[in-house]
Parts: sequence; structure tokens; C-alpha cells
Amino acid sequence: MPVFGELELRTIAGGLPAMKDLDTEAWELPKAEILQLACEVADGTRVLLPRALHPAIPEYVTFVVTRYPESPVGPFNLAQVRLMARAGVHPRGYVLGAVASSPAAMTALRERWGYPTVAGEITLRHYHDRVAAIVRRDGKTILEMALVDPEIIAGGDLQYIHAITLARVDGAAQLVQVDPHYTLHQASRGRAEVSRFEPAAWNAVLVELTTPISASAATCDTDLPRIRFVMDPETPVVRGTRKVR
Amino acid sequence: MKFGLFYELSVPRPWTRESERTVYTNALEQVKLADELGFDQVWAVEHHFLEEYSHCPAPELFLTACAMVTKRIRVGFGIVVCVPEFNHPIKIAERTAVLDILSGGRVEVGTGRSATWTELAGFNASPDVTKKSWDEFVRCLPRIWTSEKFEFEGEFWSMPRRTILPKVYQRPHPPMWVAVTSPGTELDAADRGLGSLGLTFGQFAEQDKRIAEYRRRIQLCEPVGEFVNDQVSTVNFLYCHEDDAAALKTGRQMANHFNYLAAQLISVRETYPSKSYPSLGLLPQLRRQATGPDASEQAGEGLCLGGPERITRALKRWEACGVDRVNFLINTAETIPQAEVLASLRLFGREVMPTFNGGKS
Repeated sequence: MPVFGELELRTIAGGLPAMKDLDTEAWELPKAEILQLACEVADGTRVLLPRALHPAIPEYVTFVVTRYPESPVGPFNLAQVRLMARAGVHPRGYVLGAVASSPAAMTALRERWGYPTVAGEITLRHYHDRVAAIVRRDGKTILEMALVDPEIIAGGDLQYIHAITLARVDGAAQLVQVDPHYTLHQASRGRAEVSRFEPAAWNAVLVELTTPISASAATCDTDLPRIRFVMDPETPVVRGTRKVR
Repeated sequence: MKFGLFYELSVPRPWTRESERTVYTNALEQVKLADELGFDQVWAVEHHFLEEYSHCPAPELFLTACAMVTKRIRVGFGIVVCVPEFNHPIKIAERTAVLDILSGGRVEVGTGRSATWTELAGFNASPDVTKKSWDEFVRCLPRIWTSEKFEFEGEFWSMPRRTILPKVYQRPHPPMWVAVTSPGTELDAADRGLGSLGLTFGQFAEQDKRIAEYRRRIQLCEPVGEFVNDQVSTVNFLYCHEDDAAALKTGRQMANHFNYLAAQLISVRETYPSKSYPSLGLLPQLRRQATGPDASEQAGEGLCLGGPERITRALKRWEACGVDRVNFLINTAETIPQAEVLASLRLFGREVMPTFNGGKS
């Protein structure tokens, strides 16, 4: 059997986002722009991963910065750091940390989908030779990354992995699957470049970047959907998954 | 129809000093029995870094050991990864030739290009060009084996004129195959006159279509070798037991374990967008089979798990699809005790094999 995560849940239980319930309504999010980088990391991240999940082989993280020009709470940007994993046989990105650019989005993402969002400033810019993102918090840059030398690819060449958040639901810690749909309009890929990453700001103190893997950028219509599955963070998902709807 | 064994050599955790040796030793014992029972071939796949799923980085060494303890069974060197960062083509040609000599001309060569980020990045190989390097390799290998002297200048490798020794024992050279996981790769095989070494456990309807198109295309091929290998091989699980229900239960455990371990791998497409890997290949299907709504029905659609009659029906259906060979995974991560694996092989050999090929192996 593959190895499992080794997160001591009690060490982070006090700071988990509290969700109102699992009856979250979906948000339609048209014309979103997504910049995603993937990077291998040094061994040792297993202690950040809930025991229900298997670490990827090799361990790697993704950085996902998204601009949502339209949403029920107005335009906002969202930045996430995800530790990539397996929920049973399914690839998933466990959200270690997240920053939202508006207070309304920050609150809604915490309460409705369990994202561990905090407030910050996020810029996402397209240049002729790169797509770049900067995330700042309390006046300090905590992530600076870019897709360098973009080349157009088919939308079908991109695959987005569903996210899993860890939140408190009805008083108990639960893993929450967030599985958006994507209708891609434009996509590109290029070299991944992370020039600044402050792990502590993303609840990722043990994450040490090693080998950049890839970078992609896309414009798409997407959503934040209704919640379909939750999982017990301490039990292998094969036994600990509950279908919500 | 011919039958064979197919090895990834999976090793379950916890790993001890003896666990890998046990897996290899058990596999050798299985191959020896398969040879006695009349199985036609044994394949071993080259993989690197794939924890538990496959501890088989040097299949030609394992196959040499197989050849030394058997008399007739053919040894399938493959999938050998035709990417220069993994293997120099001269070394592939040389190792094939040595194995062919030692086995007395029993080698078959399966070619491929790897489908995991775990492996490709481990060798610092770009996923974007693996199909091109594979193409260059498969065009060179038969020329290396059949030319007295060889020189080459290509995109991925070059060499001045040399005599590459030894030569393969078979004349003109061993049959060549292509590993087929992604839809469409069987056409790459057909266009080059190479056998289709299917690695998917696919459903009959899909396989029917793919095999028909392969058969059509290979009629028009420009063979890269001295002859056309127009055979279609597929892979399957095998667990045969007199008690149908018990066989299904045990066999499903093995199949699910295999699918679970396979799903842990990082496919190229999961993390590296590239038109060189347009599909996820084997993995989505395995995930579906392991956990999807059809998981409990998987033995009903062509898997060789059950009693002899059930397995015979499944194989007859594959035969009707146009499959020439079926290679079996007979255990995964030692899920099934060795004595039961051997008993399953014996029962298959006694009850199922005689119903094919007029009872001749």
C-alpha cells in the first residue's frame, strides 16, 4: 500500500476555516484567467498532508493564481498553494494556503468551500514574453512567479486537478472536494519560474522547491461548484468518503 | 491464440532486504512453470522510480535468468524505453543480441517511450520529443542488427562507422513491437510494420475498432524492419480457480491492487501539458475500473478471473476481436500467495489452454 500523509491534525485544528454547512450554492465564474505552475519539492512534505491522502511520487506543489472578473461577490483574484496528492486513485491538490484579494471573496471562500483564505494583494499580468503573478500580504511579497516564453497550446492539452480543502464542518474537521468545470478559450504553456516563495505565509513551512516542472496559462469559463464529496481526514478515502449529493 | 506472462515486478511495502528478492524468485518459479505448461512468452517492462508498482529497471537481466531456467518460452524484452536519456540505442541493440544468443533465439523486443513524469523527469528527458526519439530508435535497431557495419547521424544520436557486436541470433532479427496505451499509438505501430503490444485492459467494443483499424493500416505500412510483425497482443489479469466466486474475489483483489498502485504514478499529462501526450493513457481507465460504477462488473467484460469456463469464454471473445496473443498479469505486490498463483497457472494450463489452437500450445 502506498504511504499516507502524516499530518497531526491537532496541530492545525484550531485554525481551520469554519464552513456554515455543505449546502453551498455554485458560483458561475466566466472569463477567468488562470496561471498555474508546478514544481517538485524536497522530501518531507508528508507531514503537511492529511492521513487520508497519499503523497505524489515525487512530491510536488502547484501554485495557482486566478483572476475572476465576474462573480457573485464582484471581481476578485485568488492565489493558492497546493500540495499534490492522491485521494485513493484520484489525483488531487490539497490546498495548503490561499490568498484572496477582496474581503467578501475571502469570507465566502472560507465559509462555502473551506479554503484557508487570508486577505492580500494579487496581481496577474500578461507581457509579451511572460505571464507573471505577484502575491503580497502585509506589505511583503510572499509569492512571485511567472510563465516564461509562452507558446500557444490546445486547451485539451491542459489538465486541471481538483482541489481538496480542510475545514471544520458541523464541528468536525472534513476534507472537502472542490471540483470545478472548465471551458477553455485560450491556453499557453512555458517555462516555470518562481523568484520568490515564502513558505510560512502559505502554511507550508517545510516546502522547499527543487525542480520546476511546467507553467500554463489559460482563459476559461469556470465555476466553484456545489460540494459533492467530503472525506474524513484521518481515514483512507476508500473508507472515509461521504457523498453529499 | 498464444498466451504469455507479463511482469511489472511490483514489490509491496514494507520493503525488507528479502522482499525484492522474493518477488524476483517467485516470478522465476512462475516462468519456469509457464514454460512447462506451454505458455508462449514472458514479458518484462522497464520502469524506474515507480515505488511498489514496478521494481524492474533491468528487464533484460531478469529475462536472461528466465531464459536460463526454461527451454521454449520466448522472452519479451520490453517495454524498453527508446529515449536517449534512458538508453543508448547501441546498448539496446547489444543487450538484445546478447539475450537472443543466450536464449537461443527466443527474444521479442517491445519498444516504448515512458508515460510518467516520475520517470522522464528522473532522467531529465523532455516529454515533448519522446515520440520522435522513439521513432528514430525503432528505425535504427533493425539496421544495427542486420548491417555488418553501421553509422548514423540523427536528431537524437549519432555515431561514426563501427561494427556493433554481437549480432542477434534470430535471422533477420527478433520480432518488434510497440507498447500501446494511448488511443492512436496502434496506428504508429501499424504504419511501421510493428506488432501492437496492447497494455490496456480495454473493453471489447473499443478494442474491436482499434484492432480493425490496425489491421487495415498495416496493409499499407512501410516496415522499419526486415519483416512485418502484424500481430496484436493484449494484456489481461489471470486468476483461475475451480470455484468461480472465490476466483473472482481473489482476482479482483489483485486487479484492484494493481490499478491502485498504477494510479499513484504521475502521468506526463497530469503535470506537463504537451501535445506529445494527448491522452492520459492507461491511468483513467484503471481508476475507473478500481472505483467506478463498473468496478464490480469488471470481470464480466473480458478479464480472465474466474473458473476455467468463464475464462475460456472471455478469451474466445478476445480471439474473435482479432487478438493474437494475451499476456497475463498473474499477481500484484504478492497479493496472492505463490502456491495459489502456481495452482492458477496449472489449472489454466490444464483446462483452458487445450481449448485453443486445437489443443496445441
